[in-house]
Amino acid sequence: MKKSLILLVVALMLVLAACGSTTKKESGADKDAVAKKPEKSEVNLYTSRHYDVDNELYKKFEQETGIKVNVIKDEADVLIERIKREGTATKADLLLTADVGRLYRAKEEGLLQTVSSDILSKQIPEKLRDVDDMWVGLTKRARILVYNKDKVKPEELSTYEALTEDQWKNRVLVRSSESVYNQSLLASFIEINGEEKAKEWAQGIVNNFAQNPEGGDRDQAKAIAAGIGDIAIMNSYYFGQMLNSQEPEEVKVAENLGVFFPNQETTGTHVNISGAGVIKGSKNADNALKLLEFLTGEEAQGEFASANYEFPVNHNVAPSELLKSWGEFKEQDIPLSTLGENNAKAIMIFNEVGWK
Amino acid sequence: MFMDIKNLQFTYPKSTLNTVDNFSFTVEKGEVISILGRSGSGKSTLLRLIAGLEMPAGGAFSLNGKKMFCDKTFLQPEKRGIGMVFQDYALFPHMSVEENILFGLPKMSRKDKKKRAQEVLELVELIGFEKRYPHQLSGGQQQRVALARALAPEPELLLLDEPFSNLDTDLQVKIRGDLRRILKKAKTTAIFVTHNQNDAHALADRIVKIKDGKIEKIGRPCDLLGVSPTEIPGMVEITYEELIGV
Amino acid sequence: MNKHLANVNGWTIGAVLIIILLFLPNVSIVTGVFSPASENWTHIKEFMLLNYIKSSLTLVFFTALFTIAIGLSLAWLIAQYDFPLRNFMKWALILPLSIPPFIGAYTYHGIINYTGVIQKTLRNHFDVTPNPAYFDIMNVPGAIFIYTLFLYPYVYMITRIFLSHQSASLIESARTLGKGPLEIFFRVVIPISRVSIIGGASLVVLEVLNDYGVVKYFGIQTFSTAIFQTWFGLGDLDAAIKLAASLMGIVIFILVIERLLRGGKQFSYSTTKVRPLPLVRLKGRKAVFATLYTLVIFSVAFLIPILQLIDWVILTFGKVPMHDVLFYTKNSVIVAGLGAFLIIVFSLVVGNFSRVVNHKFAKILPKLTVLGYSIPGVVVAVAVITTFIALDRFLAPVYQYFGMDSELVLSVSLFMLISAYVIRFFAIGYNSIESGFDKIGTDFRDASRMLGANSLRTFFKIDVPMMKGAIISGFILVFVDILKEIPLTLILRPFNYDTLATKAFQYASDEKIMEASQASLLIVGVSTIAIFVFHKLLREEPK
Ligand SMILES: Nc1ncnc2c1ncn2[C@@H]1O[C@H](COP(=O)(O)OP(=O)(O)O)[C@@H](O)[C@H]1O
Ligand SMILES: [Mg+2]
Repeated sequence: MKKSLILLVVALMLVLAACGSTTKKESGADKDAVAKKPEKSEVNLYTSRHYDVDNELYKKFEQETGIKVNVIKDEADVLIERIKREGTATKADLLLTADVGRLYRAKEEGLLQTVSSDILSKQIPEKLRDVDDMWVGLTKRARILVYNKDKVKPEELSTYEALTEDQWKNRVLVRSSESVYNQSLLASFIEINGEEKAKEWAQGIVNNFAQNPEGGDRDQAKAIAAGIGDIAIMNSYYFGQMLNSQEPEEVKVAENLGVFFPNQETTGTHVNISGAGVIKGSKNADNALKLLEFLTGEEAQGEFASANYEFPVNHNVAPSELLKSWGEFKEQDIPLSTLGENNAKAIMIFNEVGWK
Repeated sequence: MFMDIKNLQFTYPKSTLNTVDNFSFTVEKGEVISILGRSGSGKSTLLRLIAGLEMPAGGAFSLNGKKMFCDKTFLQPEKRGIGMVFQDYALFPHMSVEENILFGLPKMSRKDKKKRAQEVLELVELIGFEKRYPHQLSGGQQQRVALARALAPEPELLLLDEPFSNLDTDLQVKIRGDLRRILKKAKTTAIFVTHNQNDAHALADRIVKIKDGKIEKIGRPCDLLGVSPTEIPGMVEITYEELIGV
Repeated sequence: MNKHLANVNGWTIGAVLIIILLFLPNVSIVTGVFSPASENWTHIKEFMLLNYIKSSLTLVFFTALFTIAIGLSLAWLIAQYDFPLRNFMKWALILPLSIPPFIGAYTYHGIINYTGVIQKTLRNHFDVTPNPAYFDIMNVPGAIFIYTLFLYPYVYMITRIFLSHQSASLIESARTLGKGPLEIFFRVVIPISRVSIIGGASLVVLEVLNDYGVVKYFGIQTFSTAIFQTWFGLGDLDAAIKLAASLMGIVIFILVIERLLRGGKQFSYSTTKVRPLPLVRLKGRKAVFATLYTLVIFSVAFLIPILQLIDWVILTFGKVPMHDVLFYTKNSVIVAGLGAFLIIVFSLVVGNFSRVVNHKFAKILPKLTVLGYSIPGVVVAVAVITTFIALDRFLAPVYQYFGMDSELVLSVSLFMLISAYVIRFFAIGYNSIESGFDKIGTDFRDASRMLGANSLRTFFKIDVPMMKGAIISGFILVFVDILKEIPLTLILRPFNYDTLATKAFQYASDEKIMEASQASLLIVGVSTIAIFVFHKLLREEPK
């Protein structure tokens, strides 16, 4: 009789499981890299980007192609771990991340397959594609300097490296080293200037901190307004968002700040990309390719640029008015995959120099 | 024999001594037995063993010809047809007096159940208290509800664990008299535990005195507690003082 | 002695199965301690561990201290005194629990930062530009402030229920002995409620240890930061799991201390005599003080952040897609409801087992399930994924037999997510249920069986109704916790399964706190309804 209680629980769990498995069934056990005939037209996306504009684009894609986009969103590393553990059985078709380092990691783990098409080659410059065609870039964002127009003259600014000079003591604002954007920035310096120099740079910035790193990128801009520091390292698209914030005070803060693209005379401004790769063993690889083509197409790229203040990768698409007003700029010229390669080294340097 | 216990054996997990040691004992139908002993002597444990709330380590026990416990069988307490009144009554606080009593009644029509509840309430003189909750009753009333609840299913055997210990002296005397009347009227076989020889004297047909889980003496109250002890075969003679000293 | 087993079989089998299920994923973490050290390990030890542990301990210690101070003082006021607004405060003071701490952190920072309402108003209307350093909460004291505000209800809730149901005779006898209120508080109230204080505070401690949202945003480096830096930054999941396993070690240590503190001093009461403590009516200045005190706590921990959230919802109205809101809300309620229901059912089975099988093992084993609650959710998630994928592989022949053409069935279903919730939050539900069982003891159960009711009938007719309070409060605690849960939900949900929490996180993680306010407010709304219903149900319970 007591057993009936347990039976009840077990039964309940089974029912739960049954109604829980809402995902549609896949086509036959066809484990080739490219599925021949997906029964239901769909593509399963693991993404670490969580922007409303992405969702709208997926919807548009669905309408245009009839291919349903199923999404799971989380941190890239967690998604990678899940794909790794799911192995060949994984349902994921496409991995989308907001940092190229994570794509590199997925590639190193052997989770990606090659993806190429004439359309992709036409829409995305070679530099923003993996050398082995394992991933492609979707959008770009630059790590720029913003400064207090009253206290800093643009002539005083030149490079990331110059921020380590004594004149910037107690004036530099930047968020914590936990941010992947800082990690990839330092990773690029390791690539360009070598580990020694990169560490010196990190140490120099720490010495010039206006305060211990806290908050996100937007908070650095606000800290300038509050007079805590005079110059901040932050992502271009956060700054774009502040300029268009619903909160008038944030707009005011942003309007009082100047934008500077560093290293124009030297190695170029640091750029990171959002990008995507098709999962090895994907059962809907064709659909995944279609989605990539769509997302790098002119319509989608225009949306990324205008709604999210990201730089398009597609040359036929102009950046938004705001981004255009910042002018053309020279980008770092290094293979993007090096950002991933040097990520761990960057962390260790941050820890060693005490960049929180 | 109505009730027959042979070589009952029991030890609590962490204790070294046998809590109930080689206990053998028989009871006739309709008898009221009192178990008398110091606190800690194993009285409650004995009742719990009879009730089936503890599992004996050895021995055998049958009631009215049915095997309750032996080497092979262990009848669950709810199947034994034994009633019990607990020391602190254990009235269900979320049920009214009537609901408490109805809880133990076997399958029968709602009307019959209500009728039976009225009968036992009448027996314990608590008509009119049906809708009250336990915390709205005095100690003596609670005790009588507990008794009514235990009697309602007409158990073959009724166990009472120090039923008077929570009552003041006046009430004790009254309830003691009531209890004997009720038990005899219902012709219930009963075993009740006490450490008070007055209770035993007033209520019991026979007294079992236990010490350290063993039977020390068995006898009629007048024999064990009376002025002129008569010899009972197999019994040791004890004096009144010895019993007072319990 | 197989006769002994006969007495407990059904419950034992059920309980042991449940406990094994709860442990399985944790085992894969615990074994991580013994994995060989990677090349990163020396770096982690040298640069991360020591400092990070230090700040973790600071956070834990002060948060525990302040939550106890606030939770206990409120519980005592509400349990013993009557003053204006008391009846409202009685349940309203639980409400801060409905605000996820990281949302609280974003909100408070939003209120007091440079563009926040305070500085903005000072600047624009009073022409005062205060020193921004006064408005910095992104540091260790700030984090303690945030944790205290949004976690104190654990202590408050558990202690208040204890005090108002259990302490009448003790406190009254102290009163008749001529003791003043303060003396009673320190010499009677604190000692007798020690068990519930520790019970509540240990939930707080575990929440602080596993939290990542607040410390990440504030830039504080704690043990969970170390775990994530190791995993996400260094890309070394094994080392991260090793760290998580050491955290488990710390937690086990804390648990042992808790056991020792409890010692044998479990106060037990004869339940038939439990009655509520009659309230002392406060007058004059004392009444004003009591009302003011509760009002301040309620405002700071609930009202102010809520007003800010509402302000943001209005500010961003029309800018945040609204069409799916009902869908997210429904999803949230479903998973939280199912999770809480299962946890309570499981807790009842295990709790009954632990009570019936009078053995040390049966008492301690369920306690260890708290491990799932001590480490960051993402680490638990990895363990759960691993377990479920293994389960799917194991069941592959069954799937084939039924003609299913997918290799992953359980691990892509809601089943995995719900199971993960059960693993993570079991301890919270069990805490409640166990104290319920403690309170009713075994007498009523014995009495019921002597009246011919079998184990199952006794369970449903006697145990469950008598524990109504414990069951409802356990359910609500778990329900609210699942509503707020993020890391497990993010990675373990089926495709396209968004909840309020994942929505709030989506925006907040992108520094769009204003856009996150809508989902956050809905989390609070649903929790508030749940807590209110709980309050109503408890009130109608016959004493
Ligand atoms: N649950 C228990 N576990 C261990 N020992 C017990 C337990 N209950 C009672 N005892 C011990 O068994 C002995 C007999 O107890 P009990 O039958 O309650 O005595 P009485 O009812 O005669 O006072 C005592 O020494 C008591 O300490
Ligand atoms: Mg006793």
